[in-house]
Amino acid sequence: MAESLAPHLPWIVLANFLLVAAILVVLARLAVARPLTERPGARQNAAEAALDWFVAQARQVHPGRVGLVAPFLATLFLTILFSNLLAVLPVPVLQIPPTAWYSGPLALALVSVLGGLVIGARISGVKAAFRHLFWPNPLQLVGEASHVLSLSLRLYGNIGGEYLVAVLAAAAAPWGIPLVIHALGLIPAVVQPLVFTLLTVTFLSTAVHADRKA
Amino acid sequence: MKEILLIFIPTLTLVPAAVAAALAMRKISSTALEGMTRQPEIAPQLFTSMLVSMALVEALVIYCLVVALMLAAKV
Repeated sequence: MAESLAPHLPWIVLANFLLVAAILVVLARLAVARPLTERPGARQNAAEAALDWFVAQARQVHPGRVGLVAPFLATLFLTILFSNLLAVLPVPVLQIPPTAWYSGPLALALVSVLGGLVIGARISGVKAAFRHLFWPNPLQLVGEASHVLSLSLRLYGNIGGEYLVAVLAAAAAPWGIPLVIHALGLIPAVVQPLVFTLLTVTFLSTAVHADRKA
Repeated sequence: MKEILLIFIPTLTLVPAAVAAALAMRKISSTALEGMTRQPEIAPQLFTSMLVSMALVEALVIYCLVVALMLAAKV
Protein backbone atom coordinates (compact mmCIF):
# COMPACT_ATOMS: atom_id res chain seq x y z
CA MET A 1 0.00 0.00 0.00
CA ALA A 2 2.72 2.43 1.03
CA GLU A 3 4.68 1.90 -2.22
CA SER A 4 1.82 2.86 -4.52
CA LEU A 5 1.11 5.97 -2.46
CA ALA A 6 4.77 7.07 -2.28
CA PRO A 7 4.75 9.57 -5.20
CA HIS A 8 1.71 11.35 -3.74
CA LEU A 9 2.96 11.50 -0.16
CA PRO A 10 3.86 15.23 -0.12
CA TRP A 11 0.33 16.06 -1.21
CA ILE A 12 -1.18 13.59 1.26
CA VAL A 13 0.81 15.17 4.10
CA LEU A 14 -0.32 18.64 3.02
CA ALA A 15 -3.95 17.58 2.58
CA ASN A 16 -4.06 15.83 5.95
CA PHE A 17 -2.57 18.88 7.68
CA LEU A 18 -5.33 20.96 6.04
CA LEU A 19 -7.89 18.40 7.25
CA VAL A 20 -6.53 18.70 10.80
CA ALA A 21 -6.73 22.49 10.53
CA ALA A 22 -10.35 22.24 9.37
CA ILE A 23 -11.23 19.90 12.25
CA LEU A 24 -9.61 22.28 14.74
CA VAL A 25 -11.44 25.31 13.33
CA VAL A 26 -14.77 23.45 13.57
CA LEU A 27 -14.02 22.33 17.15
CA ALA A 28 -13.03 25.86 18.17
CA ARG A 29 -16.25 27.23 16.63
CA LEU A 30 -18.28 24.58 18.48
CA ALA A 31 -16.55 25.41 21.76
CA VAL A 32 -17.70 29.03 21.56
CA ALA A 33 -20.96 28.40 19.70
CA ARG A 34 -23.13 29.04 22.74
CA PRO A 35 -22.53 32.12 24.90
CA LEU A 36 -20.23 31.31 27.83
CA THR A 37 -22.08 30.74 31.09
CA GLU A 38 -21.14 30.71 34.76
CA ARG A 39 -22.30 27.09 35.02
CA PRO A 40 -20.44 25.47 32.16
CA GLY A 41 -21.77 22.47 30.30
CA ALA A 42 -19.59 19.58 29.16
CA ARG A 43 -18.37 21.38 26.03
CA GLN A 44 -17.44 24.62 27.74
CA ASN A 45 -15.86 22.68 30.59
CA ALA A 46 -13.59 20.71 28.26
CA ALA A 47 -12.56 23.83 26.36
CA GLU A 48 -11.85 25.70 29.60
CA ALA A 49 -9.79 22.82 31.02
CA ALA A 50 -7.64 22.73 27.87
CA LEU A 51 -7.27 26.52 27.86
CA ASP A 52 -6.32 26.46 31.54
CA TRP A 53 -3.42 24.07 30.92
CA PHE A 54 -2.03 26.18 28.05
CA VAL A 55 -2.32 29.37 30.12
CA ALA A 56 -0.46 27.68 33.01
CA GLN A 57 2.34 26.67 30.64
CA ALA A 58 2.49 30.14 29.08
CA ARG A 59 2.80 31.69 32.58
CA GLN A 60 6.05 29.75 33.01
CA VAL A 61 7.46 31.48 29.94
CA HIS A 62 6.40 35.02 30.81
CA PRO A 63 3.58 35.83 33.22
CA GLY A 64 2.84 39.14 31.52
CA ARG A 65 2.56 37.88 27.92
CA VAL A 66 0.19 34.92 28.24
CA GLY A 67 -1.92 36.20 25.35
CA LEU A 68 1.10 35.95 23.04
CA VAL A 69 2.48 32.58 24.14
CA ALA A 70 -0.61 30.47 24.98
CA PRO A 71 -2.15 30.48 21.44
CA PHE A 72 1.20 29.42 19.98
CA LEU A 73 1.51 26.48 22.39
CA ALA A 74 -2.15 25.50 21.94
CA THR A 75 -1.82 25.51 18.15
CA LEU A 76 1.28 23.31 18.25
CA PHE A 77 -0.22 20.87 20.76
CA LEU A 78 -3.62 20.49 19.11
CA THR A 79 -2.20 20.24 15.57
CA ILE A 80 0.19 17.45 16.58
CA LEU A 81 -2.43 15.66 18.70
CA PHE A 82 -5.07 15.61 15.97
CA SER A 83 -2.49 14.72 13.29
CA ASN A 84 -1.48 11.68 15.35
CA LEU A 85 -5.09 10.73 16.05
CA LEU A 86 -5.88 10.67 12.30
CA ALA A 87 -4.42 7.13 12.42
CA VAL A 88 -7.60 5.85 14.09
CA LEU A 89 -9.86 6.99 11.21
CA PRO A 90 -11.17 4.02 9.21
CA VAL A 91 -10.70 5.86 5.87
CA PRO A 92 -7.86 4.68 3.56
CA VAL A 93 -5.85 7.82 2.66
CA LEU A 94 -7.11 10.20 5.32
CA GLN A 95 -5.85 7.88 8.05
CA ILE A 96 -2.18 8.51 7.17
CA PRO A 97 -0.92 10.78 9.96
CA PRO A 98 1.04 13.72 8.45
CA THR A 99 3.47 13.37 11.38
CA ALA A 100 4.47 9.87 10.19
CA TRP A 101 6.55 11.31 7.29
CA TYR A 102 9.62 13.34 8.06
CA SER A 103 8.48 16.49 6.24
CA GLY A 104 5.54 16.91 8.64
CA PRO A 105 7.51 16.82 11.92
CA LEU A 106 10.28 18.92 10.35
CA ALA A 107 7.78 21.64 9.45
CA LEU A 108 6.33 21.57 12.97
CA ALA A 109 9.79 21.72 14.57
CA LEU A 110 10.78 24.66 12.32
CA VAL A 111 7.56 26.45 13.30
CA SER A 112 8.33 25.76 16.95
CA VAL A 113 11.91 27.06 16.86
CA LEU A 114 11.37 30.01 14.48
CA GLY A 115 8.14 30.92 16.26
CA GLY A 116 10.07 30.75 19.52
CA LEU A 117 12.61 33.22 18.13
CA VAL A 118 9.86 35.59 17.00
CA ILE A 119 8.08 35.37 20.37
CA GLY A 120 11.39 35.95 22.15
CA ALA A 121 11.90 39.05 19.99
CA ARG A 122 8.36 40.28 20.73
CA ILE A 123 8.83 39.82 24.48
CA SER A 124 12.35 41.10 25.03
CA GLY A 125 13.10 43.07 21.88
CA VAL A 126 14.83 42.23 18.59
CA LYS A 127 18.26 43.21 19.93
CA ALA A 128 18.03 40.88 22.93
CA ALA A 129 16.78 38.03 20.71
CA PHE A 130 19.80 38.44 18.41
CA ARG A 131 22.08 38.58 21.43
CA HIS A 132 20.57 35.31 22.64
CA LEU A 133 21.59 33.73 19.31
CA PHE A 134 25.21 34.92 19.45
CA TRP A 135 25.92 35.23 23.18
CA PRO A 136 27.97 33.82 24.98
CA ASN A 137 29.21 32.36 21.67
CA PRO A 138 27.83 31.75 18.17
CA LEU A 139 27.52 28.05 18.98
CA GLN A 140 24.03 28.97 20.22
CA LEU A 141 23.06 28.89 16.53
CA VAL A 142 24.12 25.25 16.36
CA GLY A 143 22.04 24.67 19.49
CA GLU A 144 18.95 26.11 17.79
CA ALA A 145 19.53 23.89 14.75
CA SER A 146 19.90 20.87 17.01
CA HIS A 147 16.58 21.77 18.68
CA VAL A 148 14.94 21.51 15.25
CA LEU A 149 16.60 18.13 14.66
CA SER A 150 15.79 16.68 18.07
CA LEU A 151 12.15 17.86 18.11
CA SER A 152 11.43 16.63 14.59
CA LEU A 153 13.29 13.31 14.87
CA ARG A 154 11.60 12.48 18.18
CA LEU A 155 8.11 13.06 16.81
CA TYR A 156 8.89 11.30 13.53
CA GLY A 157 10.54 8.32 15.23
CA ASN A 158 7.63 7.73 17.57
CA ILE A 159 4.67 8.26 15.26
CA GLY A 160 6.33 7.05 12.05
CA GLY A 161 7.74 3.99 13.80
CA GLU A 162 4.37 3.08 15.28
CA TYR A 163 2.66 3.58 11.92
CA LEU A 164 5.29 1.41 10.19
CA VAL A 165 4.77 -1.37 12.74
CA ALA A 166 1.00 -1.14 12.25
CA VAL A 167 1.37 -1.38 8.45
CA LEU A 168 3.77 -4.35 8.70
CA ALA A 169 1.48 -6.11 11.19
CA ALA A 170 -1.53 -5.50 8.95
CA ALA A 171 0.37 -7.08 6.04
CA ALA A 172 1.40 -10.10 8.14
CA ALA A 173 -1.78 -10.68 10.18
CA PRO A 174 -4.75 -8.63 8.94
CA TRP A 175 -7.15 -9.58 11.74
CA GLY A 176 -6.93 -8.59 15.40
CA ILE A 177 -3.25 -7.75 15.80
CA PRO A 178 -3.36 -4.33 14.04
CA LEU A 179 -6.17 -3.34 16.41
CA VAL A 180 -3.94 -4.01 19.43
CA ILE A 181 -1.06 -2.07 17.84
CA HIS A 182 -3.32 0.87 17.02
CA ALA A 183 -4.61 0.84 20.60
CA LEU A 184 -1.02 0.87 21.93
CA GLY A 185 -0.20 3.63 19.43
CA LEU A 186 -2.71 5.91 21.16
CA ILE A 187 -0.23 6.30 24.05
CA PRO A 188 2.58 7.97 22.03
CA ALA A 189 -0.08 9.81 20.02
CA VAL A 190 -1.08 11.66 23.20
CA VAL A 191 2.31 11.77 24.95
CA GLN A 192 4.32 13.12 22.00
CA PRO A 193 2.38 16.40 21.56
CA LEU A 194 2.69 16.88 25.32
CA VAL A 195 6.46 16.37 25.15
CA PHE A 196 6.78 18.61 22.07
CA THR A 197 4.89 21.43 23.76
CA LEU A 198 6.75 21.06 27.08
CA LEU A 199 10.12 21.16 25.32
CA THR A 200 9.01 24.24 23.35
CA VAL A 201 8.09 25.85 26.69
CA THR A 202 11.51 24.96 28.08
CA PHE A 203 13.37 26.40 25.08
CA LEU A 204 11.20 29.53 25.07
CA SER A 205 11.61 30.18 28.77
CA THR A 206 15.40 29.74 28.63
CA ALA A 207 15.51 32.25 25.76
CA VAL A 208 13.28 34.78 27.52
CA HIS A 209 14.84 34.40 30.97
CA ALA A 210 18.43 34.56 29.66
CA ASP A 211 17.55 37.85 27.99
CA ARG A 212 16.00 39.17 31.17
CA LYS A 213 19.20 38.52 33.12
CA ALA A 214 21.53 39.95 30.46
CA MET B 1 28.30 -10.98 2.86
CA LYS B 2 26.07 -8.02 2.07
CA GLU B 3 23.08 -9.69 3.72
CA ILE B 4 25.07 -10.40 6.86
CA LEU B 5 26.24 -6.78 7.02
CA LEU B 6 22.69 -5.63 6.42
CA ILE B 7 21.57 -7.58 9.47
CA PHE B 8 24.48 -6.87 11.78
CA ILE B 9 25.32 -3.20 11.28
CA PRO B 10 21.91 -1.76 12.22
CA THR B 11 21.55 -4.29 15.02
CA LEU B 12 24.93 -3.43 16.51
CA THR B 13 24.09 0.28 16.22
CA LEU B 14 20.68 0.03 17.80
CA VAL B 15 20.90 -2.67 20.47
CA PRO B 16 23.43 -0.98 22.83
CA ALA B 17 21.47 2.29 22.55
CA ALA B 18 18.22 0.53 23.39
CA VAL B 19 19.77 -1.29 26.36
CA ALA B 20 21.28 1.93 27.73
CA ALA B 21 17.99 3.78 27.24
CA ALA B 22 16.08 1.01 29.00
CA LEU B 23 18.40 1.28 32.01
CA ALA B 24 18.06 5.08 32.03
CA MET B 25 14.28 4.89 31.79
CA ARG B 26 14.19 2.35 34.62
CA LYS B 27 16.05 4.83 36.80
CA ILE B 28 13.83 7.76 35.76
CA SER B 29 10.54 5.96 36.28
CA SER B 30 11.45 4.27 39.56
CA THR B 31 12.74 7.52 41.04
CA ALA B 32 9.70 9.45 39.84
CA LEU B 33 7.31 6.82 41.22
CA GLU B 34 9.13 6.87 44.53
CA GLY B 35 8.80 10.64 44.67
CA MET B 36 5.10 10.45 43.75
CA THR B 37 4.33 7.95 46.51
CA ARG B 38 6.27 9.93 49.08
CA GLN B 39 4.69 13.24 48.11
CA PRO B 40 1.41 12.69 46.22
CA GLU B 41 0.67 16.44 46.26
CA ILE B 42 3.44 17.18 43.73
CA ALA B 43 2.67 14.10 41.61
CA PRO B 44 1.43 16.07 38.54
CA GLN B 45 4.63 18.14 38.37
CA LEU B 46 6.77 15.02 38.82
CA PHE B 47 4.82 13.27 36.09
CA THR B 48 5.47 16.09 33.61
CA SER B 49 9.16 16.19 34.45
CA MET B 50 9.31 12.41 34.11
CA LEU B 51 7.77 12.57 30.64
CA VAL B 52 10.22 15.26 29.50
CA SER B 53 13.24 13.35 30.84
CA MET B 54 12.04 10.17 29.19
CA ALA B 55 11.61 12.03 25.91
CA LEU B 56 15.19 13.29 26.14
CA VAL B 57 16.49 9.74 26.70
CA GLU B 58 14.31 8.35 23.96
CA ALA B 59 15.59 10.94 21.47
CA LEU B 60 19.07 9.39 21.69
CA VAL B 61 17.71 5.98 20.68
CA ILE B 62 15.87 7.59 17.79
CA TYR B 63 19.12 9.23 16.63
CA CYS B 64 20.67 5.74 16.65
CA LEU B 65 17.67 4.40 14.72
CA VAL B 66 18.17 7.08 12.07
CA VAL B 67 21.90 6.30 11.85
CA ALA B 68 21.10 2.59 11.62
CA LEU B 69 18.64 3.19 8.80
CA MET B 70 21.18 5.33 6.95
CA LEU B 71 23.85 2.62 7.38
CA ALA B 72 21.43 -0.05 6.19
CA ALA B 73 20.70 2.03 3.11
CA LYS B 74 24.45 2.37 2.41
CA VAL B 75 25.32 -1.32 2.68
